[in-house]
Amino acid sequence: MSLNLDTEDDFYLEENRFKQCCAEFIKHSQQIGDGWEWKSIKDFPDGYMSKTHFQMKNGNTPSIFKDSTKENDEQTFTHVEEALDDSQASEICATSEVIRYEYHVLYSSSYQVPVLYFRACFLDGRPLTLDEIWEGVHECYRARLLEGPWDTITQQEHPLLGQPFFVLHPCRTNEFMAPVLANSQRENRNINYVTSWLSIVGPVVGLNLPLSYAKLVSEQNSKTD
Amino acid sequence: MRAPGVRAEEVQVVTSFPPFLPWEARPLVGVSDWRWGTWSRCVGRGRDGDESGVPIGRMTDDKDVLRDVWFGRIPTCFTLYQDEITEREAEPYYLLLPRISYLTLVTDKVKKHFQKVMRQEDVTEIWFEYEGTPLKWHFPIGLLFDLHASNTALPWNITVHFKNFPEKDLLHCPSKDVIEAHFMACVKEADALKHKSQVINEMQKKDHKQLWMGLQNDKFDQFWAINRKLMEYPPEDSGFRYIPFRIYQVTTERPFIQKLFRPVATNGQLNTLGDLLKEVYPAAITPEDGEKKNQVMVHGIEPMLETPVQWLSEHMSYPDNFLHISIIPQPTD
Repeated sequence: MSLNLDTEDDFYLEENRFKQCCAEFIKHSQQIGDGWEWKSIKDFPDGYMSKTHFQMKNGNTPSIFKDSTKENDEQTFTHVEEALDDSQASEICATSEVIRYEYHVLYSSSYQVPVLYFRACFLDGRPLTLDEIWEGVHECYRARLLEGPWDTITQQEHPLLGQPFFVLHPCRTNEFMAPVLANSQRENRNINYVTSWLSIVGPVVGLNLPLSYAKLVSEQNSKTD
Repeated sequence: MRAPGVRAEEVQVVTSFPPFLPWEARPLVGVSDWRWGTWSRCVGRGRDGDESGVPIGRMTDDKDVLRDVWFGRIPTCFTLYQDEITEREAEPYYLLLPRISYLTLVTDKVKKHFQKVMRQEDVTEIWFEYEGTPLKWHFPIGLLFDLHASNTALPWNITVHFKNFPEKDLLHCPSKDVIEAHFMACVKEADALKHKSQVINEMQKKDHKQLWMGLQNDKFDQFWAINRKLMEYPPEDSGFRYIPFRIYQVTTERPFIQKLFRPVATNGQLNTLGDLLKEVYPAAITPEDGEKKNQVMVHGIEPMLETPVQWLSEHMSYPDNFLHISIIPQPTD
């Protein structure tokens, strides 16, 4: 794995390696139908990974509400019951509660790490506000995010599309990736930087990776062992 | 070299309140003359590791450039959008905008002025537009002007809106905290490029705050007391690790180009603005036998392409420590 190791043992991800990791990631995504695509920018060598999915506001979203309090569970349960009783009402309910999430994985040349951009809107096109986005962030992550201005979710301009997106600030990425990379080096195992990174930051904003992504990398490792 | 965008006789035509004095409206007139002098001394610095050749006068010249960048102003006329609901006619509002600041940071008076003729419930988030284009508050004012209006007559005519916030084009700016967060994020990113974040991370929170307060309150000395540390580099190096810069053009969907670029070449020569453009955006440079199609503009002037980017980064960056460079069509007059 071609890591750019500086004298301070920082684990930077070089841009071409980022693209390679994305290519491997997308190949697996295609195999399991996980919906990730590579998008290129006209006239430039740059690009990013993109995935869109739809979620119900009050349920059917594994990570966001998995560990909800009992209260929320009961609400969700009731919602489903109503749906069974009156299909028309449930249709109206469903449309207003469906949120379209769009996730983009870009490369930051300044920090030499990947960055997660995302946006969400209701089906009528109305974008979610930052407050509404926060509602979707699981409690256990909220405290940590609110600690420092550098770790929080902010609205920023997408550097390639020029539209407002939400971002998880990348300046601390090196900190949490270093132990992961150090371990993999110690054990002489290959890892896909993007897969490991996304499995850490994704769940914070409702994006989960099926476990088969990890299986793919370990298969590659066992082939070379 | 004539500084684009300001002609003394045009400024005097603006007689509405308040009147703009010619010297208040100037961009960096004459900087290019200084720069030849400073450049030749700049090239001498650090290359042989010999500091003794640097005359004291150089520091004075360069500090003047810092002051000129900081105190650059753009005479602006704010007019309320005609479809906004008002209780009586709204007079336009004139203001000298600091090039180095941000629209939402310096327009409290503009908002108050128009609020007076509107109903309380109609006053929601303010946003600005120039000739149909929503203006991004998170771009420095000087950049917005250079990009959109540098070759048009002064004052800069901006339209003020309160309704129909363009969600797809503009970031929300609910408070000054958001501007501070954005500004500091830029400063942090610039230092990641210049010093691997070492200098900014070593600073205390109060130093970060001083940068922001200096900008917010237009306090040059307060700001530079801290910012000078971000402009230093180890004596054994000839410059920063990478130069923080962004290149903007109106015609593209992509907001800017930003790439890793070293201030010093492998042979030890200082890289110039021309070198940077050649590598990152060759379309901006006029071919040898071709006609000049573009202006490469920073703070309202076209620096010579021979200028070392290290010098530009130290002296003509915005307070966020980035060199924001506009590529605009060459005016035909």
